[in-house]
Amino acid sequence: MRVLAVAQNTFREAVRDKVLYVLLFFAASTVLGSKALGWISIGQDIKIVKDISLAAVSIFGVLIAIFVGTNLIYKEIDKRTIYTIICRPMARYEFILGKYLGMAFLLGVVTVVMTAVTAVYVLSLGGTLDLTFFLAVVLIYWELLLITALAVLLSSLTSPILGALIVFSTFIVGHATGILIDLPEHFDGTVAEKALALVYYVLPNLSNFNIRAEAANGVPVAPAYVLWAITYGTVYTAILLVLASLAFEDKDV
Amino acid sequence: MLWLRLVEGLGKVTIIVSAIVTENLGKTYRSSVWKSTVRSLDGLSLTVGENEVFGFLGRNGAGKTTTIKILCGLIRPTDGMARIHGEPVRKRAARQSIGYLPENPYFYEYLTPRETLDFYGRLHGLSRNERAAEWEKLSDLLDLRDIASQRVRGFSKGMRQRLGFAVALVGNPAVLILDEPMSGLDPLGRRAIRELILKMRDEKKTIFFSSHVLGDVEQVCDRVGILVKGKLMSQGRIAELLTEKIRLVEVIASGIDDGVVQELRAASEAYRASEAGHHFTVTDLASANASIKEIHAAGGTLVDFVPVKESLEDFFVRIQEGHS
Repeated sequence: MRVLAVAQNTFREAVRDKVLYVLLFFAASTVLGSKALGWISIGQDIKIVKDISLAAVSIFGVLIAIFVGTNLIYKEIDKRTIYTIICRPMARYEFILGKYLGMAFLLGVVTVVMTAVTAVYVLSLGGTLDLTFFLAVVLIYWELLLITALAVLLSSLTSPILGALIVFSTFIVGHATGILIDLPEHFDGTVAEKALALVYYVLPNLSNFNIRAEAANGVPVAPAYVLWAITYGTVYTAILLVLASLAFEDKDV
Repeated sequence: MLWLRLVEGLGKVTIIVSAIVTENLGKTYRSSVWKSTVRSLDGLSLTVGENEVFGFLGRNGAGKTTTIKILCGLIRPTDGMARIHGEPVRKRAARQSIGYLPENPYFYEYLTPRETLDFYGRLHGLSRNERAAEWEKLSDLLDLRDIASQRVRGFSKGMRQRLGFAVALVGNPAVLILDEPMSGLDPLGRRAIRELILKMRDEKKTIFFSSHVLGDVEQVCDRVGILVKGKLMSQGRIAELLTEKIRLVEVIASGIDDGVVQELRAASEAYRASEAGHHFTVTDLASANASIKEIHAAGGTLVDFVPVKESLEDFFVRIQEGHS
């Protein structure tokens, strides 16, 4: 009940914020503009539209997650709106969870809207949509859930700018974690190798959520893989939210 | 702290739990690992009984807001403990019975008062019907109906304070904790808040409020506590704290000639003339009586006789000076 109240309010705040519409406008423009690149690659335009549109859903989703997410808790403390909220008979984790769920719902709506725009556009171009396309969207959403949890954790610890930098770096590195263990030979047995291996295991492996190439090319993806990726994302997200709640529990506001 | 009291006649023990109790409460702020620490609150022990209006006084930076934030569970004390109705402040049960009005209350700018109260009602665990009833009651009490559908963004200080008071009252809490409820308000706004506090006292609520405006405190409080640099220097009933000793007496007379005026003036601490007559200020009642005799003997009229006792302001200044 309390969690839901906080979640609904978080969603309402974002909906009444103009920034969201600016981002959505750019996202829709990218989807519709992707045809331009289709012209360059003769006969491949549907594939390119799908590929670019899915990338746009992911990138604009991540931008919203970063800009709104890293402000989520920080802004409540900075604007002092939190004073009259956590003095209520509610636990602090309920507040964190509510803010997170509101954000997750917002990203869900954004993802659905952007996917709908893409789907209508692809169909209008005479293309078809298969299951892999929608599974790719589901995994993009799961990646956004994880990114948002990281943003919320950082939002309860540090300033939005530093938080955004860390989340953005994690997003970049998380899509290329392979480079952390595929090291040249001369790294063998060094401290650097161990340190990078540790980073590899701690950072989220975001390429797990990337089946966009398969979706664009209409290559089927095993349901077991999707299920595994969803489980991986859920567990990682849960750990981040527990950490965020612990960080917030004793915080002086 | 529990006080045990034997209720005569019934022969049973009633446990009276004070509304607010703090014991040796202290708070040290450390802004970062490298920076030095600031001791904002030190060994604060106080008790506020049920249905009492307690004025928490101190200069800016004395530690009033720190205390209030601890009571509301916003910050953790470094040492000591605080309880509301016997429950430690960090427990949910303690916060069930408090309503908090922060200094310069901040609310979501994109909500209307009605949405705001609904939101806080939900946080308090009220059902839809209870929330609707709460809106009816509080919008009447705080005159929010005219602004019910305006967004908080454009609100004046007075409107925000009214909304803040309404938010504090959501869920009908037994204890109200108000941080500088009258600061920044115009005379009418101050008066409205003062009347609300008195009304809440009539509704048997316990009110703990901080202020540095002594006049406001003097008019509504049963007891006061004075905080100086994080330490409680004095607490008690206003009448008990102020010395009953008469500090000065002002004697106002008319119809006396200049010679008598000069004579009385020589025996006075201070003198001024006004439309009402000649004001002579003397230090004690004996001198005042002597002056009055002389006024009568000279055929003059005694217009007024005003003994001046210590005011809360005098006391406040005395405590501050004693400390420095």
